[in-house]
Amino acid sequence: MKREISDKTILDEFAEDFCKIVNLHCKYIICSGFVAISHGRSRGTEDIDMVIEKLSLEKFEKLHQDLIKNGFKCLQSDSSKTIYEAYLILGDSVRYTEIDKMLPEMEVKFAKDEIDRAQLNSRIKIPFTGLDVYFPKIEESIAFKEEYLKSDKDLEDARHLRIIYEDKLDEKYIEEFKEKIKRIKL
Amino acid sequence: MKDKSHQEQIERWAIEVRQNPNWKKQLKPFLDAQIINAIKKYKRILLLPNGEDKLRRIRNLN
Repeated sequence: MKREISDKTILDEFAEDFCKIVNLHCKYIICSGFVAISHGRSRGTEDIDMVIEKLSLEKFEKLHQDLIKNGFKCLQSDSSKTIYEAYLILGDSVRYTEIDKMLPEMEVKFAKDEIDRAQLNSRIKIPFTGLDVYFPKIEESIAFKEEYLKSDKDLEDARHLRIIYEDKLDEKYIEEFKEKIKRIKL
Repeated sequence: MKDKSHQEQIERWAIEVRQNPNWKKQLKPFLDAQIINAIKKYKRILLLPNGEDKLRRIRNLN
């Protein structure tokens, strides 16, 4: 399926710029709403969700400093130690923006279970989106939205993705992934 | 799920995206406008009494 992708959106450019830095330091995936939006879902969002592998404080400090050097700031704190100890290591997310802009935001959190880690290991780039960004497998995004997140918005996102990939989805994989979600996340 | 016509709209647009290689040209102004508009409004909120605190609460930063 060849697509002509042009005219990147504000969200696209922000995501690519941020991911380019993070990719130098650790594995990441972009998940939740932006997966659907980058597939053409016509809805807004002001933040993009990113899961990164769990890092040591020392490695996180290097990542944070690199983000700062490249024009991003963390809304929770300027101190990488505070961000790490008061948020990330406790399982909470932190948000970064470009230093001179209030939006969009990148909501970053550490992988916290077997499912997050498996998604990081099987992450892919998705040609349809035209973006140089890693996402989870489409089947995993659909399973998450249908089995775990379940809001109207998420179910509509899943419906959108199912239509885009209607001949290509591995339904068995989706069902197995839903079972894994029930076992580990619910 | 919302009502039937809303569901139909989701499906109609997804089919358009699947079939029209230029979908992004249609969508970009809409997606960008949301961000641009929110930033403009945030700047106005900052001018209100206790604007900075209000904005932090709106953005769940407290």
